[in-house]
Amino acid sequence: MRQILNIAFYETLHIFRNRILTLMVLVVPLFYAAVIGLAYVEGIFDSIPIGIVDLDHSGLSRELVENFKNSPQFSVREGVENFGELERQVKEGRLKAGVVIPENFERDVTNSRGTEVLVAYDASNLISAYNIRKNALQVINTLNARCAASYLAGTGMTEGEIKSTLDAVSYEYQIWYNPTLNYAVFIFPGILMMIIHQIGMYTAALSVTREKSNNSWVQFLSSPVPPWKIYIGKTLPYCISNLFNYALLLWFSSEFMNINIKGSTYLLVLLGILFVIIVTSIGFFISVHAKTSLQVTRYMLLLSVPLFMISGFTWPKAYMANWVRTFADVLPYTWMAEGIRLAAIKGLGMEFLGKTLKVLSLMAIISVILGAVFTKREKSGSSPKMERI
Amino acid sequence: MLKVLKKSFAVVAREFQLLWRDSDLRRILFIVSILSLLLFFAVYYTRVLREIPTVVLDLDRTPQSLEMLQSIENCEDLNVVLYSADYKELCEVIEKGEAVVGVVIPENFGRDVAGGKGSKILSVIDGSNMIYANNAVSAVLTVARTHSAELGVKKLIARGVHYTEAQYALMGVVFRDEPWFNSTLNYAVFVVLAMALNVWQQCCTITATYNITGEMGKGSWLQIKALRVSKFLFFFSKSLAHIIGFMLAVIPLYIMAFGIYKMPLRCSPAELLLFTLVFAVSIHGLGTMISALCGDPVDAVRFGMVIALPSFILSGYTWPLEAMPAFVQKAAKFFPQTWFFQGFNLLVFKNPGREVLQPYVFVLMGMACLFYLLSLAAAAVRS
Repeated sequence: MRQILNIAFYETLHIFRNRILTLMVLVVPLFYAAVIGLAYVEGIFDSIPIGIVDLDHSGLSRELVENFKNSPQFSVREGVENFGELERQVKEGRLKAGVVIPENFERDVTNSRGTEVLVAYDASNLISAYNIRKNALQVINTLNARCAASYLAGTGMTEGEIKSTLDAVSYEYQIWYNPTLNYAVFIFPGILMMIIHQIGMYTAALSVTREKSNNSWVQFLSSPVPPWKIYIGKTLPYCISNLFNYALLLWFSSEFMNINIKGSTYLLVLLGILFVIIVTSIGFFISVHAKTSLQVTRYMLLLSVPLFMISGFTWPKAYMANWVRTFADVLPYTWMAEGIRLAAIKGLGMEFLGKTLKVLSLMAIISVILGAVFTKREKSGSSPKMERI
Repeated sequence: MLKVLKKSFAVVAREFQLLWRDSDLRRILFIVSILSLLLFFAVYYTRVLREIPTVVLDLDRTPQSLEMLQSIENCEDLNVVLYSADYKELCEVIEKGEAVVGVVIPENFGRDVAGGKGSKILSVIDGSNMIYANNAVSAVLTVARTHSAELGVKKLIARGVHYTEAQYALMGVVFRDEPWFNSTLNYAVFVVLAMALNVWQQCCTITATYNITGEMGKGSWLQIKALRVSKFLFFFSKSLAHIIGFMLAVIPLYIMAFGIYKMPLRCSPAELLLFTLVFAVSIHGLGTMISALCGDPVDAVRFGMVIALPSFILSGYTWPLEAMPAFVQKAAKFFPQTWFFQGFNLLVFKNPGREVLQPYVFVLMGMACLFYLLSLAAAAVRS
């Protein structure tokens, strides 16, 4: 035990003696969370700039324009007089969508001939495109209901009859877990786990390469301390700091990003401990086998985008190619991202997280074995050139 | 002049050799972004999100409720995966993530609809994944609205109204949506190449941060001095080699995306390459500046990645810039990545013309000049 604590103490000293490493361990996770959080803090894309081409200039067309103006989701820009102008402004990125009200709009609706309102939107960004489609559909549905009610009233129907005709089947929807469809609630927890994954694994991955570059790793190898003690001693400070960062980032998202972190604290702690053990152990394993800190730095930092993309956190795994799904399933981030969504966002209990916890536990055991079992014989020629850390 | 060109060519050739001999840099620059593109195409291989898993609970089991079920089954965006026995099971299926939408048809649905009282169906949508949720809301809205209108039309017909008139009376205004620039709402078109370019710009940053730190402590530096190659010519030629390398790395991405996967490209390939070249110069300038400011290669890569990693999110390519707070929008404009990804979107999807793209090119060129000037200043101070 004493040997482990000595190594852990020595490692902690190293962290605090290196200014940049100290920043990486203690400041960078929160820094990243804050910078990325600022982008998502508003979370809902409203006041979408749209233009309306009213070719009818009737009472009803003006009513539709007003409906769009009154919708908080849209911000109607003036001065779009014709289709060409609308097309140009959408092309230049000044407008995200355009509504075209056709000629004879009011006449056709009043005479029950039917008419079409065109909603053209910039689909080069699908996040805004789906928002526009959904909200425009709601605005037009509202107008339809109002016009239909007028028609039915004209046929002599009573108010009750009109209601029952229009709402033969009315519809109520509940959106669970993210009722306002806030983008931050959707994406931010996954990004936080990626920050923990990357910083946790990277800092641990420098623990041995640094010794190698100082030619002090040989002292560990030649000492009578067994590999598993070296592993525990070296990774302990990173485990503690990563766990602290995990809690800090969850607190940050709840406090500053208005993300309601639900679920049992016990489950969140358990998930955090397993994930931290995995990333730190894998980081140590990489460090034992990597040549230099430069090599680790270059490769490790490139992992975040591919890991995030294949995890299924945004694009569902069911829609991916089979081999990508299989590959994603052996990665700890995939399971942690899913676990944090189930526990923190959906607030589900152990009965729903059983499989996630089992897989993460298995991964933790494997990664601990990978980290703790390494040969103490140094390969010839594996000692790197001196480098300054 | 010829002598200068010869010297420059020699430094470019030396830099290529160094890049190629450094197996890590070689892999990072020439392989990682291509692998990423292939991986992302495999991730988005279905391209669009259809057939959202749906669970249905029919508490009525009458011909009217069956008709409603039929409408749900016929909707191409919804895929009924389970007919639930009770509400508890429906909730569990959604909680487990096996279905995203749950539709509950209440008891007495048929009686209330037939009796003219109207009935209310409940729909539960898992909002934790917004890609699913936005589609699901639109799909369920359309199904319910269409079904309700169909019932209303039947009622009017029963009162002697002509079918067409009844139909137009209840659904007078037809919503015709027209997605421009990506007409099939294809996610692969929207995100795959952009993400691969994001990885590419990270690889470029890593390579560029080696521009000055890579020469530190090398004996060859003295040889260069002895050959009377000026510092300016030396670093200009080195940078030229890097930028050529960046372009050689991005060309296969474009060939695969536009040539093999047939992604739409509104502008000409030459325009896109030229714009990418301007960005490559500015990102190289940024990497060189970091390289000049940092003492060693590891720190340089770290600082480079501190900028390169979040810059894509801040660029507004996915989550729109307009949806970010005003000061973040302003801050994002200090990153070359913001100008590149915004300009890339305009060029590839819309091609609005040179006038619109000019500011993007000028800002990127200005940034490149500024970064190189700062690099010079930092290098002068250090030396």
